[in-house]
Amino acid sequence: MQFKKSDLPKILDSMAKEATVLAPMKVKGNSKFAPWGTEGELDFGAQNVLLPPKDCLFPQTEKMYRFETDGLKVNDFEVINESRPTVLFGLKGCDMQSILCMDDVFLTKGYVDDFYKKKRDDLLTVCINCTTVAKECFCDSMGGSPNGHAAADIQLYDLGESYQVKAQTEKGQKAVDSWQQYCNKDEGEIKEIACELKVDMDGVPEKLAGMFEHPIWEEISRKCVGCGICTFLCPTCYCFDIDTTKDGAEGTKFRCWDSCMFSEYTRMAGGHNPRPSKKERVRNRFLHKLEYFKERYDKNLCVGCGRCVAKCPVNLDITSFIDQVKEVASHE
Amino acid sequence: MSQMQEELRQKAKELLEKGEVRYIIGWGKGRFHHRPPIFIYQAEDVDKLVWDEYCVANLGKYLLDDKFPEGKIGICVRGCDSRAVVRLVQDKQVKREDVCLIGLPCTGKVDQEGRELVKCRDCMHRNPPVYDIVLGEPVEEKGNPDRFKRVEELEKLSSDEKYEYWSNVFDKCIRCYACRNVCPACNCRECFVDQYRVGWQGKQKNCMQNQIFGLTRAYHIADRCIECGECERVCPVGLPLMELNRKLIKDLNSLFGPYEAGVNPDVKPPLGEYRLEDPEEYM
Amino acid sequence: MSECTCHENPLVPQVCVITDIKKETPDVKTFRVSTRDGKKPFTPMPGQLGMFSILPVGEAMFSITAQGEDYLDFAIKKTGQLTDALHEAEIGQEVGLRGPYGNTFPVEDCKGHDLLFIGGGIGLAPVRSFIRYALEHRGDYGDIDIVYGARSPEDLCFKEDLMENWPKEKNTKVHVTVDQDLSGEWKGSVGFVPAYLESLNFSPEGRKVVLCGPPIMIKFCLQTLAKCGFKDSEVITTLEMRMKCGIGKCGRCNIGSKYVCLDGPVFTMEELSHLPNEY
Repeated sequence: MQFKKSDLPKILDSMAKEATVLAPMKVKGNSKFAPWGTEGELDFGAQNVLLPPKDCLFPQTEKMYRFETDGLKVNDFEVINESRPTVLFGLKGCDMQSILCMDDVFLTKGYVDDFYKKKRDDLLTVCINCTTVAKECFCDSMGGSPNGHAAADIQLYDLGESYQVKAQTEKGQKAVDSWQQYCNKDEGEIKEIACELKVDMDGVPEKLAGMFEHPIWEEISRKCVGCGICTFLCPTCYCFDIDTTKDGAEGTKFRCWDSCMFSEYTRMAGGHNPRPSKKERVRNRFLHKLEYFKERYDKNLCVGCGRCVAKCPVNLDITSFIDQVKEVASHE
Repeated sequence: MSQMQEELRQKAKELLEKGEVRYIIGWGKGRFHHRPPIFIYQAEDVDKLVWDEYCVANLGKYLLDDKFPEGKIGICVRGCDSRAVVRLVQDKQVKREDVCLIGLPCTGKVDQEGRELVKCRDCMHRNPPVYDIVLGEPVEEKGNPDRFKRVEELEKLSSDEKYEYWSNVFDKCIRCYACRNVCPACNCRECFVDQYRVGWQGKQKNCMQNQIFGLTRAYHIADRCIECGECERVCPVGLPLMELNRKLIKDLNSLFGPYEAGVNPDVKPPLGEYRLEDPEEYM
Repeated sequence: MSECTCHENPLVPQVCVITDIKKETPDVKTFRVSTRDGKKPFTPMPGQLGMFSILPVGEAMFSITAQGEDYLDFAIKKTGQLTDALHEAEIGQEVGLRGPYGNTFPVEDCKGHDLLFIGGGIGLAPVRSFIRYALEHRGDYGDIDIVYGARSPEDLCFKEDLMENWPKEKNTKVHVTVDQDLSGEWKGSVGFVPAYLESLNFSPEGRKVVLCGPPIMIKFCLQTLAKCGFKDSEVITTLEMRMKCGIGKCGRCNIGSKYVCLDGPVFTMEELSHLPNEY
């Protein structure tokens, strides 16, 4: 079945009655997933929205619990774990894949992160296939596809004037059932496309496993300015810090995004820092993306969304790095 | 441009072969239109140096990664890079004798769509004010008659309007610190942001904490901002950071007389020296 | 007042109470912690960690040095913001605690072996949990040797155990050295741990080693142990990295694809040889 693009606002409106609907929007010059019904315009361009969708599952700053102290005593203690039904509408395949990476981190390996789980359970994912790609896109080199993602609750296919609808989960089917009044029979053809930027990941994780001491790290990290753009715009970077705010006797514990590119990230209380310079930090980031995560969760932690390629101020580019890894002789 | 690029490569080759510099910081070819900074150690690698309309990054800051170099560092300098080096020398972060400045008069850079960069539109020193070698011919300075135009517009707003304007700006900040990290005036060994034990800056991302960062940083570099516009160029969310910097420059100019950071190595920044005639209304 | 029973959320601590504080050295104190109703907060195995917090100040991971019927002990050195505050704390201070985290010393694999414990400074804190376990299960293990060194006599942690309790145990020897003695009253060995270890000349035959201390001590002790013929698979150590979550999520304590908080902190030297050298 399919619905007309002109009916999209009505569908979004209806969903927004029961859930927060986050859609790719341009808001005051910034492109991000923003609540439908607030200021801003829908933006389904070739380029991904600048800010990744991870914020809705893993907010940049998230309150965890609050407490009150009185002398030696802790007088009040309350866990804050708020969530409401949310729809992520208009995800591209790369961003959908990033959610699967986050699921692995927050929901597996012995501990379930309650703050993440609650929001994840409340989330409905709606993917749209890409009809054009940006020059920085390379998802199909990283195991993804611009043509959709099987893990989305609902997959939409852009047919030009309308969207073809495919419910892929029970949750997705339930939502689609309520769109019936806008839907017609299928016609038209789904066009498949491919990314222009290609990298060859074949053997890269394995090769990197022997390259920890390789001179390449010194060389590529020279130009890094050590900012957090790559990590904060990355849909899969999940590292966080935990800190406290105090206001008199009241305190709140919160967690917030952290970046492995910052020197403070691994600095220990006594001052020792196992990753003292940008060489170690860039190495850890690329190895985490391309080797460590693969070893631990059997996925690439880079989904090829191209945000860091587009936004790094000095073009420290993961695709060029992969090319370079293919070329250099293993050191060990 | 290509003739200048050829001259640059020749000069670089000569400097490296004669051992006058140990390496050269310039621009090289990146993935697309990008011309990221590169570091050339061997004469046979000089063809990797690129000089064209896409060489946008300011190179001065890289000198801080090698404060005690074994031999001179050659560095390509446009007006803005030259001013960055002067700033670092004045802050005693870099020794003038440790660097060889290869001057490149510049007619402005463009983005991937070929539009002139805002920072280049506003540039007042297209010729490097300080250099050891200069390539090509000097280019005409165009000045920037609109330097404070935007500041004047903002000054007309009421307090509430100003607060709303800047709150909207800082609400968008994602605290990636790219502005700080590329800024040649930001050269504290440890930034106040990273002094967590003292607790100047909370780690939470909200409008108030973002403002604490943005405003403190602006004040901290007030008389040392060289107006290279790198902070604005690298900001992933497009914050108009130069408006804030120019407001402070404008105020400093009216208090202490006109001053341009990083242009003349012999003139100290107004907040870095005491003069009897300094205004002292705060006393 | 709400009683916190939020263990189902692994990032939320339970509120506990400091019931005793013992000064070990000028910069190390042992804090005894129980739940508000006087119970043991949780039951860790030797080597496991606890995330300890003074709620308004901060949270940090510490090894659990001992446990009893109704308490856990943490020996904590003053090194940063939280530990400064902890050293100012008094009995009755309510704190946050979550855990236990991480893997444990291989108490099963070590059964039937002689044990050589080597500690330096505060590095005896994690080792002590295993020493106490081995002494409580004395029949399971052979000879026990404890080699311990600190900067000076007054910097020796757990003096009562070292000087009185442990030497009294069956087939248990304690060998103590100090880097230097300015008091002139120290009767024992003076010198660094690695050299002292070499002079003791332990045989690798049927013996497992547990090694913990500052990186420089570990480095040279490993050379000594190699000289004595110990294999990497017989040498066990614990690692320290900055941690925030303790449950393998927040990212920062990784060494290669392993997280020290979850896959560590206990590793054999053999396991470490397969990981990137970044600790």
